[in-house]
Amino acid sequence: MVMTSAAVPGFLPRAGLDRLLDLLAADGRRVIGPTVGQGAVVYDEIHHASDLPAGWTADQAPGSYRLRQTGTERQFDYAVGPTSWKHETFPPRVPLTIGRRVNGQVTFEDALPAAPPVAFLGVRGCEIAALLTQDAVLARGIAVDRDYAARRAAALIIAVECVTPADTCFCTSMGTGPEVTTGFDLAMTELDDGFVVRAGSPAGERLLERLELTAADPGRTTAAQDAVAAARERMGDPVPTAGLPARLIAAAESPQWAEIAERCLACANCTLVCPTCFCTGVTQVSDLDGFEATAERTWDSCFTLGFSKVAGGNFRPRVQDRYRQWLTHKFATWWDQFGMSGCVGCGRCITWCPVGIDVRAELMAVAPPPPALKAAVGIIEPARPTTVKSVPPAASAALLTAPIPLPAVEELPPTYARTFVAERRRETVDTVTLRFDTSDPDLLAGRPGQFVMAALPAFSAAPISVSRFHRDGLELTIRAAGAATRALCELRRGDSVGLRGPMGRGWPVDAAEGHDVVIVTGGIGLAPLRPLVDALLADRTRFREIRLLYGARSPADRLYVEELSELAARPDLDVGQIVDRAGPDWFGRVGVVTGLFDQGHLDGPNAVAYVCGPERMMTATVDVLRDRGVSDDRIFVTLERHMECGVGLCGHCQLGKSFVCRDGPVFSLAEMGPAFGREGL
Amino acid sequence: MTGAVRATIASRPRLGIMKFASCDGCQLTILDLEDHLLDLLVRFDLVEFAEASSYRSSGPFDIVLVEGSISTPEQAEEIVRIRRETPLLVTIGACATAGGIQALRNWADHDAYRAAVYAHPEYVESLATSTPISDHVAVDAELRGCPIDPGQLLELLTALTVGRRPQLPDESVCLECKRRGTVCVLVTGNGPCLGPVTHTGCGALCPAYARGCYGCFGPREAANAPSLARWFGRDGRSDADTARLFSGFTAYAPPFRSVIDSLGGPPIASHSGEDA
Repeated sequence: MVMTSAAVPGFLPRAGLDRLLDLLAADGRRVIGPTVGQGAVVYDEIHHASDLPAGWTADQAPGSYRLRQTGTERQFDYAVGPTSWKHETFPPRVPLTIGRRVNGQVTFEDALPAAPPVAFLGVRGCEIAALLTQDAVLARGIAVDRDYAARRAAALIIAVECVTPADTCFCTSMGTGPEVTTGFDLAMTELDDGFVVRAGSPAGERLLERLELTAADPGRTTAAQDAVAAARERMGDPVPTAGLPARLIAAAESPQWAEIAERCLACANCTLVCPTCFCTGVTQVSDLDGFEATAERTWDSCFTLGFSKVAGGNFRPRVQDRYRQWLTHKFATWWDQFGMSGCVGCGRCITWCPVGIDVRAELMAVAPPPPALKAAVGIIEPARPTTVKSVPPAASAALLTAPIPLPAVEELPPTYARTFVAERRRETVDTVTLRFDTSDPDLLAGRPGQFVMAALPAFSAAPISVSRFHRDGLELTIRAAGAATRALCELRRGDSVGLRGPMGRGWPVDAAEGHDVVIVTGGIGLAPLRPLVDALLADRTRFREIRLLYGARSPADRLYVEELSELAARPDLDVGQIVDRAGPDWFGRVGVVTGLFDQGHLDGPNAVAYVCGPERMMTATVDVLRDRGVSDDRIFVTLERHMECGVGLCGHCQLGKSFVCRDGPVFSLAEMGPAFGREGL
Repeated sequence: MTGAVRATIASRPRLGIMKFASCDGCQLTILDLEDHLLDLLVRFDLVEFAEASSYRSSGPFDIVLVEGSISTPEQAEEIVRIRRETPLLVTIGACATAGGIQALRNWADHDAYRAAVYAHPEYVESLATSTPISDHVAVDAELRGCPIDPGQLLELLTALTVGRRPQLPDESVCLECKRRGTVCVLVTGNGPCLGPVTHTGCGALCPAYARGCYGCFGPREAANAPSLARWFGRDGRSDADTARLFSGFTAYAPPFRSVIDSLGGPPIASHSGEDA
């Protein structure tokens, strides 16, 4: 009798499954695996092998799932069902922080639950790819989702290779299955009388040793390989992915999006059954007075209207824009963001779409591969590699070969630093500037154009640009636009608030070295530009002429009025001001901010521009700047998007390939490309 | 809720709870907030509460919660008066926000119905239609449902106390099904479900008991009811049967209403008085 080792697969008779479950239980692991419930094979707690769906499979089609008995003893004869492992690694609701307010002072404490050891039994190849994909998103970026990292590290992965793909499956096209090649501790392949088992990690090897299996005979090993190969054969290659990202981006204005929107319910089911979709919102669960509130991270979706809501409106109101965002992100911009596909080909979005929208068919309709295009006009050519920039599925697979080491949770930074209001100054009827004292080195290390998340218990945290940095603190200029900002504006000297940051990429000050500088801004847009002016003036000799052009609705709507007068008196800075509506005390210019460009000469080709204001003002300003010869790589704008997390984890602020909070909020026009000023993105 | 409205609300606002054409179930939901009632009374001056007390105040109120649809000429006048005197008007329930089940009469012959139900129809002064409050006056916020959800009600009252925007998302019921791990009944064939086009707020109650959502919270934002109706019709369901699915407590709310119209009206309207 040959005992198994890391290199030799073992054979686990079907009756031995309970021994595996017992060993996992002895290790203190909860076992989650497939079981029949609610008319489907779902993942739930498994105590005995008899909990597994022996003799069950399901017929799947777009918008349809029907359980069916197979008449065999096989326990893993189904294709993936409605649940995914993200229910365990990335639960629908997770408490993040508890905020309290006592006598005007606030405190925030972490509320992250513990992540006890767990084993996932029956993980498919596509699902391992999904876990590795979420690792890249949630645990490998500039910020780490601490709850995810802890849960992921606590999970032992016992894969069972898929030999019964559904009609909705396309893992073969996405390069994620059906073979299990990476990211597992144990991998099993089911045969009629048991399982061929191999280890994929030291933890798996130890478990395999304790199972004391006999080595799998060559006949069984071959049968196992053949079964998986047959599954691959059956699926074929339903979604040719060569050049798909480029084709999708090129199809941004396709009439097909509106056609899909005729059918799409925007119900969000596709995103919630998707094992890689990671977008979340934050809800506040508070007592009646708001003295204590728990901020909960909740599954959200790019298909809800609230997802893309900002103070000024909504940047993705139409369903066709939302569908385009989802599909383009999954199959195209995910590559830009994470170097891999966002789709693993599990087919859940197809089966669980209530009106049976088949992503495979939509991809082919929106972004057909070139041969199909030619076929459409009657030229039939044999399929061959295209000349379009190609990202073969193999590239995705290569990126998934090495599981990402997860960061130690205790090394991750805390949530909010309590910070006190040292000074409060009213700027306009609805805007105040608060100066905060802090010794927090992170907060003090901020750069012009960066923002902080400001939190009060029971209110959603608000992204606020820093309007001045001091050696021992910082200033925030806040307009009471919504409930949270109104509450912030009502803070008095001595009150406290939770600050997190600074975040994002600020204004590139060095880009202006040796150039003329023109700063164009409107209304409260001056606030994020003020630290830039400070930085430019602090090192004045590095820059040529500096002009600050400021527009406001009325004289009373201007920020920092006294400061503006002082700046205007400086010989080394040109300040232009203009208002939409003048009062009796206004002797300056009246009109929109672009009107100020007619004063003085602008040496466009030699100038660097920084722009911040309402969207329409920015578009108009950019038109003038381009007209005067300022190149797109020297025009910098800052964007307002819906931000929940500020660190590129929640997904709300995505603009094409960028997370505005992480990659912006400052972008050059060259970086934004056609995304600037376009609706629906 | 605008800042201006909020600023006019006192620290212990005067609260009125009133009703028009309705079954009082939403008001009962308020009474059922047993553990919170005393807390609420500390924060709100509950001046009038139709279901709990026969006392009627002449007002005015800072906040009025209105249950019920507008079904009589008298009600149509009354709601205009209340709106005029009330800084914050919140409608509660399917009747107030969509016209209620009684809005099915909007498709029917009003006089024939009246004659079929009452021995002396001439004593009954009712309008030919049952309409939501928002058809008559501007509404500051609404709580959907038949009846309303106690959690959403508490969220509204908490938000009023704290001074923030209530978290009342207008997304589909599906998100809540998925968050709580309910398998889609529409896809598994356990019945037609209006969840994808219905406003969330109930916690996805019905699908958790393996039955389809019947849309009592009414259409959500961007509800693509025609697409769902086409899907219902795919497996041989008749137009009348599809129309019946939408002809519930929120039938008269626009996207549902137009689907019902396109399918020949609610099946109930074609029946004789006795059947109805």
